[in-house]
Amino acid sequence: MTSSPGGIGARTLRLLRHPVLRRLAQAFFVAFLLMVFAFLLIRLIPGDPAMILLGDEATEEDVIAYRKLLGIDGSIPSQFGRYVANLVRGDFGVSIRSREPVLSIVGKRLPVSLWLTVTTIVMTIGLALPLGVAAALYRRTWFGHAFQIGASVMVATPVFFSGLLLILLFAVQVNLAPIAGYHAGFPANLYYLWLPALTINFVLVPVLSRILQSSIVETSSEEFVEAAIIRGTQGWRFYWRYLLRPSLAPTIAALGYFAATVVSYAVIIEIIFNLPGLGMTLVDAVRNRDYPLVQGIVFLSGLLVVGLTFMADLVNGWLDPRAKIR
Amino acid sequence: MTAGSPSIAPAGRLRQVELRRHWRQLNAESRWGVVILALILLLSVSVPLLSPNDPYGFVDQPLQPPSAAFFFGTDHLGRDLLVRVFAAARLDIALAILGVSVPIVIGTFIGTLAGTTRNRIAETVWDGLVNALTAFPEIILVLGIVAMVGADIRGLLIAIWISRWAQYARIARAKSLALRDAEFVQAAQVLGYSQLRILVRHIMPNVFSEALAYALSDFIFIIVIIGGLSFLGLGVTPPTPEWGAMLAEGRLYLRTEPWLILFPGFFLSLTAIGVALLARGLERISKGEDE
Repeated sequence: MTSSPGGIGARTLRLLRHPVLRRLAQAFFVAFLLMVFAFLLIRLIPGDPAMILLGDEATEEDVIAYRKLLGIDGSIPSQFGRYVANLVRGDFGVSIRSREPVLSIVGKRLPVSLWLTVTTIVMTIGLALPLGVAAALYRRTWFGHAFQIGASVMVATPVFFSGLLLILLFAVQVNLAPIAGYHAGFPANLYYLWLPALTINFVLVPVLSRILQSSIVETSSEEFVEAAIIRGTQGWRFYWRYLLRPSLAPTIAALGYFAATVVSYAVIIEIIFNLPGLGMTLVDAVRNRDYPLVQGIVFLSGLLVVGLTFMADLVNGWLDPRAKIR
Repeated sequence: MTAGSPSIAPAGRLRQVELRRHWRQLNAESRWGVVILALILLLSVSVPLLSPNDPYGFVDQPLQPPSAAFFFGTDHLGRDLLVRVFAAARLDIALAILGVSVPIVIGTFIGTLAGTTRNRIAETVWDGLVNALTAFPEIILVLGIVAMVGADIRGLLIAIWISRWAQYARIARAKSLALRDAEFVQAAQVLGYSQLRILVRHIMPNVFSEALAYALSDFIFIIVIIGGLSFLGLGVTPPTPEWGAMLAEGRLYLRTEPWLILFPGFFLSLTAIGVALLARGLERISKGEDE
């Protein structure tokens, strides 16, 4: 620090430089840019969106009314001002198709997507953790090699193919899951969700367990592990405290990073398994050129990922004292 | 070239020697990758050329299982699946190459520009911009752009170009940050070369190798996006043969005629595996591991 402002000033300054706050400020800045991008999205359409939607036969009044509905009347700065003011009030516009507020559509469809995401992540942790540890401990045996090959093949298989393969296996050959569809309600919905979640994990688990494996291998050569062995630390305490916990940070960070990937793949998965979530809504909106709905979903999903990444960063800092948030 | 001169090998021979030298430098992983990709490329060119059947045309009774006459069977419209799978290979690989090549150039240029500037505000805005763009779930961003530009091949490519450059810019920026104080850059500055010339002729070539390494893994991602959007009916649309679109069509016959998805899906995955093997192999070589 160059100058030292005395008293409360210095404390506030130090607080402001707190890494968590800095990350938070960064997250807000990113969220702001997401908003700008979502705003631009509809305005970058070549031609007049109202004309595209209405066709050539539209009357002057219809076009004007549509421009108003889309929020693209008036100058760009005034449009942006209105857009921001509306967002702050929670108004994301109205779907062109159903004339329903975008936010209420999202509110209806979001739970399915969230359930899918949560089921996926629980499954990811349940599968990647033991696999990664096993792959690290037995990396020089046949298991390690099989793991490497299997992981490479699984990562390279697109979800829309592995999903169909899993349906073929679990829903057509053995009757363990429905081919498609969804019913709400907690324990019952898992019957419809486990196969879609497994499909996403077909890509996710190999990547994450590989990251975990290599960071466990790295940790095991650290001095504090050696010291723990010399001190005679054994059993669970040794594995958790000295091997697993310090190795988890990169995996958690990656999980945060892959939040975007999960949300991404969920779109395709929802179509394959006919789950009435946000992804299916988005694809329908794209097909119908329902611009406000597309805009709203793109913005909100970006926001969701920013939030998840931020949370992953926090957990990361707690898990591994070495990985202080930058 | 003087033909028949004993001291100078003919051009064809020279190229052969060159190729063999490259081949010897590869490790097992990258060799497998090359073999798989070469096989798929060869088949994708030769099968549609040599087969008498047209990928768009009706040839025989629909939904026939694989047989000696039709190795992959026929699809729901009575078209030869073998020809369609490899016609699709040609299209998918060409589209993926197109999809990778534009972002790598644009991204590297922008990233190098950002890496060599010393303006602090520009740096902050830059960080936010790249973070924002990469915060969007990839497929959702691509879908958003496709919704605006149009759900066809052109829209798909534009969406990929807009959404993928940021990764390259990130790599290029990190690398050029390290390079901007390098001696050869200082030398070029002393010589009085323009900022743009230093950027394009001196820094970018050094940044490019790293971007190319990333491009291989990006290729996999882009081929999955092309297939994925076409699977959703928002990219390449039927009747054009494309792997994702074929999977979407074949999905309706999953229960009774699973080969309709097995063949296109298998070759799509195999292509991705080939590229992945090549990428991993080359990465290991550049790190100086094994062999």
